[in-house]
Amino acid sequence: MISRRFLLKRLLLLVPVLFGVATFVFAMLHLAPGDPARLIAGRRAPDAFVQQVRTELGLNRPVYVQYGEFLLDVVRFDFGKSYQIQKGAPVSEILEARFPVTLELAVLGQLTGIALGIPLGVLSAVKQDSLTDHLTRIGALTGISVPIFWSGPILIMVFGVMLGWLPTFGRIATTYTYESVTHMILIDTLLSGNPAAFVSAARHMLLPVLVIGIYSMALISRMMRSSMLEVIRQDYMRTARAKGQGANITVMKHGFQNALIPVITVIGIQFGTLLGGAILTETVFSINGVGTLLVEAINNSDYPVVQGTVLLFALLFTLVNLGVDVTYSYLDPRIEQ
Amino acid sequence: MNARNRSTDLDLSRWTRRRLRLVGGALGVGLLAGVLGTLLGTALLTDPSVARTKTFALGALCLGLGLLGWSGSVFAGPGIENMHRHLDSGSDWSETDSRRAMARLGGFGAGVMAGVVLAAQVI
Repeated sequence: MISRRFLLKRLLLLVPVLFGVATFVFAMLHLAPGDPARLIAGRRAPDAFVQQVRTELGLNRPVYVQYGEFLLDVVRFDFGKSYQIQKGAPVSEILEARFPVTLELAVLGQLTGIALGIPLGVLSAVKQDSLTDHLTRIGALTGISVPIFWSGPILIMVFGVMLGWLPTFGRIATTYTYESVTHMILIDTLLSGNPAAFVSAARHMLLPVLVIGIYSMALISRMMRSSMLEVIRQDYMRTARAKGQGANITVMKHGFQNALIPVITVIGIQFGTLLGGAILTETVFSINGVGTLLVEAINNSDYPVVQGTVLLFALLFTLVNLGVDVTYSYLDPRIEQ
Repeated sequence: MNARNRSTDLDLSRWTRRRLRLVGGALGVGLLAGVLGTLLGTALLTDPSVARTKTFALGALCLGLGLLGWSGSVFAGPGIENMHRHLDSGSDWSETDSRRAMARLGGFGAGVMAGVVLAAQVI
């Protein structure tokens, strides 16, 4: 059982983390070259017009006033209005529409990684130094070594262009229409009661999810293997076997849960990396998620959108890690101490 | 009972003093750096607001890094210490040292930011 003190301490630590991220992002944007007012007004615009845009955006105020207001707005979850991407639209609304797209992709990728990585890692450890083990290790090493911006185009080329089995970009075929309720296409198409649209969305989703899943699977299976190898050599495992318990039951009942603790750390930390990886995946597969939004916002010096996106990533990452900590102490109550 | 209370008070005041000295020292140095940075920037650059913005942003960068490093040390510090011990890596890295360093960095950053505000008021 998780103690309230432990949970409260972890939750309180979110405050300096988010304050730190907010300050860091603010600093980076103000240190980066490029003037958003000039960008919006146009390169050849007269200085007076640029100054007018600057005043409208509030960029003419002293930097410390901007910082103070930014922090106050962040506390109220108000990230301001977009300068460029969707001029005048509240950043929270833009994120509300784009974030579920990325979340769906990252969660499905992570689930694929877990579903493939954990059984492969266990199998590899149980059958150590066999052909299965060697093949799994080679597969995992390849998965870790191959970057997403390379594996994405290769999968597109093989499955999309050469074999023609799967669509290469977008989220659904243009012939289908559906009502966007959650902004997660698989759920929305299911809710709209259109199986053909769901199949189309699933087919579009397959390659990007596979790209993220392979990367995730590689790390998880490596970690699961080494953790499992350490656990199956423990005395209690030998004792269970000596008492006549079957090999499979011993591994799954006594070994699996204990071997899972370091793997959960990897899964938690990796979720943040997957969100970052989603930026590349979305760019490669032309998916309109938060990743492409962030790239667009940086290119256009759209400060509020960049700040909102990064803060959302940071919040999610810290919450996932909080979840990891809670799972830890559930699996092994000694960790809480 | 009274003796125990007195000893707790002493511990608390020592604890607070030590931390205030740690952050306060860095804050003072940062304040000086912020004022000097702004004045120097104003003298060298044609647009004084650019000097203020960049110096303030540099201070905010230090504060942000300090805060993230400090909370990271609290979050993961004991685990990293245990890992070093487990691997017998011979590293003398400790959570306490890391927290102190990050508190200094954060204090310095906050000082620079305060220095910019101060210099801007004076100019």
